[in-house]
Amino acid sequence: MNALSKLPEAMDELLDGFMSHAVVGNTTVGLTQYIFWMFVALALFVVAILAFKRKQAQSLVPHGFFVNGMEYVVEFVRDDMCKSILGDTWKKHFPFIAALFFFILFNNIVGIIPGCHPGTGTMGVTAALALCSFVYFIVVGCKRMGVIGYLKSLAPKGLPGPMAAMVWVIELFSTFLRLITLAVRLFCNMFAGHVVMGTFAILASLFFEPLLQGFSAAALGSAAGSVFWVLILIIIYLVEILVAVIQAYVFTLLSAVYIQLVEQEE
Amino acid sequence: MGVIGYGLGVIGAGIGIGLAAYGATTSMARQPEVQGRLFTVFILGSAFVEALALIGFVVTLIAS
Repeated sequence: MNALSKLPEAMDELLDGFMSHAVVGNTTVGLTQYIFWMFVALALFVVAILAFKRKQAQSLVPHGFFVNGMEYVVEFVRDDMCKSILGDTWKKHFPFIAALFFFILFNNIVGIIPGCHPGTGTMGVTAALALCSFVYFIVVGCKRMGVIGYLKSLAPKGLPGPMAAMVWVIELFSTFLRLITLAVRLFCNMFAGHVVMGTFAILASLFFEPLLQGFSAAALGSAAGSVFWVLILIIIYLVEILVAVIQAYVFTLLSAVYIQLVEQEE
Repeated sequence: MGVIGYGLGVIGAGIGIGLAAYGATTSMARQPEVQGRLFTVFILGSAFVEALALIGFVVTLIAS
């Protein structure tokens, strides 16, 4: 197939587009396209929250789609993530968890819009987010039990000496592994989803190309194939919307679980 | 070659998500009251498994 033979070249171009390019300044000092869209998402986030607060203050009973929708999402975060996992201590951690959820959600949703990039589609942003959550639960643990107490609590109680030391080392390792898995999971989901969407878009355009060069039966058949790729693209686009929400949910839920683990420690 | 590697890697993730969905559906059928909580656990488990497949995908792209 002629169209398929052009795919590797187009794929290289696509992947090159996903690498960080400077929009303002250069890559050391300045904004890459990911950070630019992260700021766009952040601005949208702040505007949405401020508008929500203003509209909510207008009347005691919530009116309209926007206020009710936002309240529904906030209540979902409060009940499903905070109350059900953190138990009695949910009030203390709710601001952090809600901020994390909304920031990631807005980034992912902005990234879904064609032409935009997700702020979470680069390792730098997700690693920073994971570091926030990592430092947060360690600080919570250290505040509750003291630094020594927290380090001791990594290994479960009641184990014989040498065994406890071994488990402690493994637990320490797995604690640091949380940092990496949180960052890599979010990054890979966003990056891979966008690469797959881009690939199908490229396939659709490559199969449509012969029809533009000249009308013939073969070109028409190839264009029919293009319709098929567009259908798959639409399905993957819908799945990506789902993934954007689920990944924000998973990241936040895992952060809540890690906080709960240090909160429940004796 | 990298594409074949990704295909091999995704077998494991497919089995993993299949097992998770199997467990979730059977326990939901037995005890419909726990549906809400099970769904959370199922999504979490799937996300863990799916992340492995996606790491394979991204590494394939970066290596090629």
